[in-house]
Amino acid sequence: MLMSGRDFFVARYKKLGWAYREVELKPSIRVNTMNNAETDVIERLESQGTEFEKIPFLQSGYWIRKSKFSVGATTEYLLGLYSIQEVAAQIPATLFTELEDRTVLDACASPGGKTVQLANLMQNTGAIIALDIERQRLTALSNQLERCCVKNTIVYQLDAREASRLKIKFDRILLDVPCSGNYATNKGWFRRRTLIDVENNAGIQRQILKEATKVITTDGEIVYSTCSLEPEENELNINWAMKNLDLEVEEINCHGEEGLTNIFGRELDSSIRNCRRIWPGQTQGFFMCMLRKRK
Amino acid sequence: MKLIEDFVDRFRTSVRLDESLIVKKKDRYFLVTERLMGLVQEDFFYAGAYLGKVKNAIFFPSFILMAMVAEKESNKIAVDDKTAWLFICGRDVFKRGIQNVSGSARKGDYALVVNRHGECLGFGRILHNINGIRDKNKVVVKNISDIGDFLRREK
Repeated sequence: MLMSGRDFFVARYKKLGWAYREVELKPSIRVNTMNNAETDVIERLESQGTEFEKIPFLQSGYWIRKSKFSVGATTEYLLGLYSIQEVAAQIPATLFTELEDRTVLDACASPGGKTVQLANLMQNTGAIIALDIERQRLTALSNQLERCCVKNTIVYQLDAREASRLKIKFDRILLDVPCSGNYATNKGWFRRRTLIDVENNAGIQRQILKEATKVITTDGEIVYSTCSLEPEENELNINWAMKNLDLEVEEINCHGEEGLTNIFGRELDSSIRNCRRIWPGQTQGFFMCMLRKRK
Repeated sequence: MKLIEDFVDRFRTSVRLDESLIVKKKDRYFLVTERLMGLVQEDFFYAGAYLGKVKNAIFFPSFILMAMVAEKESNKIAVDDKTAWLFICGRDVFKRGIQNVSGSARKGDYALVVNRHGECLGFGRILHNINGIRDKNKVVVKNISDIGDFLRREK
């Protein structure tokens, strides 16, 4: 059986309880409130002809209804007053509690949207250690940090699976892990992806999860997220982490549906429902959860 | 360090930088907090506030450093919206676009170019004594560096 192609994946989604549909995503921004008042930034952009719609389930997120110019080339953008960030991607960093003055690991940081958001939520206090493997991606990340006046971050060229080499214990860890992505943000997704890719990515994600448990403090928080719809990279990985890494899934309060506790007939731990799954629609597809070491 | 001080001095101001908190990576300089200093390791790629880089004994400031200078009383030229946009696109500043000058307006001096919100867009060199120029269509500030560089870097 060919484990790829649109029909194959769409049939899987149906078995998981979701009917596939085409989606058209609206562009969105997140205001960087670290150095500016949110209302000032929005008013400035509106006065230049951009129309916004506040995203009801986000703190500083806005959909762009209409714009006379590219929002990636305005003075305000170049001054770091806002970032262009997909709606669902704005959620994971907000799940942490008490970020200010903490030591935070952003394990797969490039291109840096969530790193800037973390710095913003931390009001440039504490410390963020941002990792990525590829040097070219680190340059893009560094440019984002400079543009947005982030001052609390150290960037290393390091594989997240080797984070313990830094010999640092973290209070908060963001694992926005490399994943298979989803069709909503990648038009050729169904042509390019196979179940084997998904399983390979799931394997890497488990290694990253395992490494995170080595560097988290006893009462630390790990936020795990992917923009994949595939359960191997989401619920099944978290179920594995609960059994093998002594982690538990915390309740979170954010946009999205409960995580699936039955995957193709396989019953998972009931606390997996504390995860959040977003099927493509208003946003791209996404999955996230918060993990803690079991006490 | 001296190169950074000399750069800031061009704008007739000073910025207090704790030398013990400046870290260097090849030709790039960063200002870190004490907290970061305790965490930064030899093989870091980027740390804290990027200050700028030195190439062929010339200091190229970061936009974070320029913003730090702009917070002080220093040579600053405030420009109107149209001029601000053209400056970001790499253009020089015409006399007609200037709204206000603080600090030096003398030929040969350096000045930060700021928008009407006081935000630093970059810096340039004053080509003529600004107060003595009557021709509004004359270029008075030569663009040296502007935040449009963030877009140009991506290309």
